[in-house]
Amino acid sequence: MEIIVTTVEETYNIGELIGSLVNSGDIICLIGDLGTGKTHLTKGIAKGLGIDDHITSPTFTIVNEYTGRLRLYHFDVYRVNDPEEIEAIGFDEYIFSDGVSVIEWANYIQELIPPNNLTITIEKDLELGDNYRKITITYSDKRYDYIKGIKL
Amino acid sequence: MKILSLDCATESATCAILDDNKVLGEITYNYKKQHSQILMPMIDELFNNTNMSISNIDAFVASKGPGSFTGLRIGMATIKGLSQGTKKPFVTVSTLDSLAYNLAYTGGIICPILDALRDNVYTALYTFENCELERISDYVNISINDLINMLSHKNCNITFVGAGVSKFKEKLIENLPKVIFAPAHLNLARATSLGELGLKLLSNGVADNLYSSVPIYLRKPQAEREYEDKMRQKKNE
Repeated sequence: MEIIVTTVEETYNIGELIGSLVNSGDIICLIGDLGTGKTHLTKGIAKGLGIDDHITSPTFTIVNEYTGRLRLYHFDVYRVNDPEEIEAIGFDEYIFSDGVSVIEWANYIQELIPPNNLTITIEKDLELGDNYRKITITYSDKRYDYIKGIKL
Repeated sequence: MKILSLDCATESATCAILDDNKVLGEITYNYKKQHSQILMPMIDELFNNTNMSISNIDAFVASKGPGSFTGLRIGMATIKGLSQGTKKPFVTVSTLDSLAYNLAYTGGIICPILDALRDNVYTALYTFENCELERISDYVNISINDLINMLSHKNCNITFVGAGVSKFKEKLIENLPKVIFAPAHLNLARATSLGELGLKLLSNGVADNLYSSVPIYLRKPQAEREYEDKMRQKKNE
């Protein structure tokens, strides 16, 4: 599934829609270069989960936890040199818990990501505008079928 | 000797005060992992209701795992802090030991299992010899299938105990001939059981070093994980 957005607000809105639909145990992988809007999308997801806290990228803390309709575990593994490092913080306990996990730069720790995930890839195309983003959503587990209902 | 014992390695948040021959009190909650929020109030309540304070405690016992990474750190950090602050010794005991000890004097093999996720379990094998608990294997993190293979040639009763049992119970019944399961009230980590084992060590002068004592996390060896990755990549090709 592909969604084209042209403003930061639209990215946030897509996130909010996803956040309003996610279920306990969902694992959302966010993949995209710096500045594509991964954290903005996460802010939307948090909003959709009813979380009003200010969401900041956990680049240094690796994971931030929030409580809304469900618990949200927001990972940023950009600084992780070796998947083993993140495994050592008890990664499995988070992602196999009742909460919702959002993992920025999940492609860096591919071997730790279980197959039943929702992958969201955000790509720029500068020829089509500074704020043009193509959001591609893929999954193989039908638990994520709610994504089909998402429209800008 | 009075000891304060604490185990947060599993879903069970449990603390107890023990004297040499008597359990003075125990509080256990086996409901969601909320150790960081309830642990200190639990300890406080334990002291209040036994008319004691931290100054009455002669030594501490903590779980050294294996188990929940976060839980282990919460428990160990708490006990280390109390030990350092009061200048009283502490000792660590494996939660697997304490789970086996829940089933004191059970015949055959006792096999505590904790869910290590991704179809793996933390486990070790135990027997009781002359009323003494004896561990007869290493602490391991292995797949449930490997555990079943390991136990399939054993010719005695195998009693399973621990938080991992519910998840794998049916599989164990299907694949092993003589399996028994601990009743619910013995199936959770209890600070009294951990504490009693710790008390024995402390009475024999055994204690951990504040600076070098670390939990046993038991992650799968690097080589094994690399092998699994390779296999997975092959499968995807």
